[in-house]
Amino acid sequence: MTWGVRGLMVRFGEHLALAGVSLDAPAGRVTGVVGGDGAGKTTLLRCLVGAVAPGWGEVRRPESRRIGYLSSTSGTYPDLSVEENLAFAATAYGVPPVEARARAAEYLERTGLASARDRLTGHLSGGMRQKLGVIRAMVHRPELLVLDEPTTGIDPVSRADLWWLIARAAAEGAAVVLATAYLDEAERASWLLALDEGHALAEGTPDEIAAAVPGTIRTSTERPSGDASRRSWRRGARWRTWTPGAAGSVAPQADVVRPDLHDAVTVAALARELAVTAAGGGAA
Amino acid sequence: MTALAETVGVLRRFGPLVAVDDVHLRVDGGEVVGLLGANGAGKTTLIRILLGLLPPTDGLVRLFGLEPSRETRRRIGYVPQGLGLYDDLTPDENLAFAHAVFGGERGTLPQAIRPLAGVLVGRLSLGVQRRVAFAQALAHRPELLVLDEPTSGVDPLARARLWETIRETADDGAGVLVTTHHMDEAEECDRLVVMADGRVVADGTVAEIVGDTRVAVVRTDEWERAFAALETAGMSAALVGRTLRVPRVAPAAVEGALGDVPARVDEAAATLEERFLELTLSGGRGGAAA
Amino acid sequence: MWAMIVKEFRQLRRDRRTLAMMIVLPILMLVVFGYAASFDVMTIPVRVMGPAAERLAAALPAPFEVEEVDAAAGREQAEMALRDGEVPVVFLTSASGATVLLDGSQLFIATSTKGALSTLAGRAPAGLTVDVEVLFNPDLETSAIMVPGLAAMILLFVGTVITSLGVVRERQAGTLEQLAVMPLRPTDVFLGKIAPYFVVAAVDMVVVIVAGTWLFDVPFRGSVSILAIGALLFLFVTLGIGVLISSVSENQGQAIQLALMTLLPQVMLSGLIFPLSSMPAGVRWIGYVLPLTYFVEIARGVMLRGAPITALWQSYAYLAIIGAVVFGLATLRFRRSLAPARARRHRAPEPELEGSAP
Repeated sequence: MTWGVRGLMVRFGEHLALAGVSLDAPAGRVTGVVGGDGAGKTTLLRCLVGAVAPGWGEVRRPESRRIGYLSSTSGTYPDLSVEENLAFAATAYGVPPVEARARAAEYLERTGLASARDRLTGHLSGGMRQKLGVIRAMVHRPELLVLDEPTTGIDPVSRADLWWLIARAAAEGAAVVLATAYLDEAERASWLLALDEGHALAEGTPDEIAAAVPGTIRTSTERPSGDASRRSWRRGARWRTWTPGAAGSVAPQADVVRPDLHDAVTVAALARELAVTAAGGGAA
Repeated sequence: MTALAETVGVLRRFGPLVAVDDVHLRVDGGEVVGLLGANGAGKTTLIRILLGLLPPTDGLVRLFGLEPSRETRRRIGYVPQGLGLYDDLTPDENLAFAHAVFGGERGTLPQAIRPLAGVLVGRLSLGVQRRVAFAQALAHRPELLVLDEPTSGVDPLARARLWETIRETADDGAGVLVTTHHMDEAEECDRLVVMADGRVVADGTVAEIVGDTRVAVVRTDEWERAFAALETAGMSAALVGRTLRVPRVAPAAVEGALGDVPARVDEAAATLEERFLELTLSGGRGGAAA
Repeated sequence: MWAMIVKEFRQLRRDRRTLAMMIVLPILMLVVFGYAASFDVMTIPVRVMGPAAERLAAALPAPFEVEEVDAAAGREQAEMALRDGEVPVVFLTSASGATVLLDGSQLFIATSTKGALSTLAGRAPAGLTVDVEVLFNPDLETSAIMVPGLAAMILLFVGTVITSLGVVRERQAGTLEQLAVMPLRPTDVFLGKIAPYFVVAAVDMVVVIVAGTWLFDVPFRGSVSILAIGALLFLFVTLGIGVLISSVSENQGQAIQLALMTLLPQVMLSGLIFPLSSMPAGVRWIGYVLPLTYFVEIARGVMLRGAPITALWQSYAYLAIIGAVVFGLATLRFRRSLAPARARRHRAPEPELEGSAP
């Protein structure tokens, strides 16, 4: 079963949150939505789980009992213990207590939370709280698991544990949709949708997106001058400059590099920015 | 040359808990040093010691060759994770406040965000908020800049722009210390210091730290079965796209664990993140108790 | 330091709720202590009954104000009038003199009446005996009227303050959205959230009343079920207000500010502490609008006077109507916060904007 959205248009008052966005989320796969603050990731996910009714477009999702959702603001009650938070979720979703306890025990154990069972969630570190949030969202074996920026600000060890939970959910057959602002994380998804200000910037597997960069990317030690400086950005100690053109038109040379996902997303955002200014003034 | 910030053999105890243990850290002018560590690794405590907010139990802390004091605080620019801005004031008002406190020059906002100078900070997007926070920290021309997770949650283009500002500051001679959880950001630094369990477990460039660590990569159509098989064998597999990466295990052992699941097992260079996890976990899992 | 001062003022200027409190509170205090806070009753409505009623009514000076004269009525009717709260003082004339029956549940009117009577005592024609009898609270104890008042306050406090804190906690923690997406019906969430506060308020009230009757010998003459119905209606009002407050507050701090702003006027102007009859008409009408006024009436009437429901029907009716409106509104708003956010509807997809994906 493939869940997802098609042609989603969402406008709140004057603000266009999503402009014709589509996404497929097949079972057993991790689908990523990547973009910065205000790109529309949260709105897309909220449409997917039914928290927002779009102005136009189609949403395919299972009944709310078969959905697991972790919002970016919070997923757990700070004044309940780890155990109590999970118990609330299990009861609300109608999971038989024995099964709920077994699944919870396994996940807590595997992510290093077992010793914190009785601790108040508010007293946990950010990483542990997020792990608990994901466990809470998947304790009822949902068909669709939607996670909004679960690893933002989380330390790498907790992030690794969180990804184990994600892999486990996918291995159990769930369609996992993950929103992230981090590209190295986006690279772990099997399919990616990059958003920028409500528009689809690029989509495909991470490799496909990287290969589809239109034009060439050159590196240099100094920032280029003139017109090219508007198409440059810094990466580490060197500068990268993008020249529009056909994808892969220039073979890798001394200063030409093969684009990666990072480059692809940066180039797509640059292209939008330059086209918008060329059209005479910014949009939105 | 006097280091801008230096700790020598710094130890910090909280009762029976050792938060920072025998740490040598040095930040010189013109360089960007990244501090990488899990929760509970001691990064925050170390930063607080460096900023003069906390005295070490043992060891030396020197800022600009001196003991930390109110004077040294004037020469430091600090952007905490929470940005340190007042949500219910405008950027101009925030800058005015900082100017009144630090003296020196009044900060100026970058050209691109100047039109937003009169909008309440709470209404601005995260990327713009960060740039305001930077402008505020740089206003009094600090010699040392300390940034806590400077680009968390920001899109790649905005991150690149923020890092341009950081780089320019370093090029002007300031020293920059960045704490981060984030591999993308860590790779932007000149040098990395990796902490685990209060100790420094690695110090050098990204390439030096990763060295020639390798991981086993499993390519298969039946990744769910492969995942389950590896789990049963007690091997920790990480899902990346459609492959499974297994660190710290030889490819032959992985093949054995997979049994009759059809797959191809290769070796590949480890990523910084994988190497970091290896360093952290071997340094003890004390961080998980935080 | 100057920098801090400037900054604080700038932030204060934008904090509308605190500003409102800074203005509203002093005005409230002014009104209360200038006009409302008085224990002296200005006019005392009385009924005169018995054979010599006409003559006595004509002769009664201020502060007594004769409402009704009924020569045919006797003791029984007098007691019923007092019990039903129709009037606080009845002059019952007989051949030998007059008995003044006072409603002890209206403490301040009773004491004021006693005071007025003693000043008039010297002017009574000789040979006329005037007895004073205080019904329902013969020793004129303050605790007798305070305990029912306290019961009312408990319901008010738990209903508005505590409930609003509890409900806003959800919004503050950001878990409201989570709930909206779970397979829970909005009714489940709403009732599930306020049920504990309902129970706590009810238990608290029972404890206060029981303690009052045991420890302070406060009487309980009326029917428990009548009081319970009144309490139920009042709870609908207070819980509704509590939920409404939480629906316009983003965090517990704001909720408390708003809750206190609704609590304070009610405590001051509802007749709980300062009797309504001692307030000038201009201020008294505020009391007639406040829900607390009516439940205090019910509590005192049922507990001290044993009044039947027919006597207090106006209070019940008022509470029922206000309760329906407020609770209904609260339900609607709460449901709306759980329902999917609605984006503007479109008839057809918009044309692709320039500068989209390369």
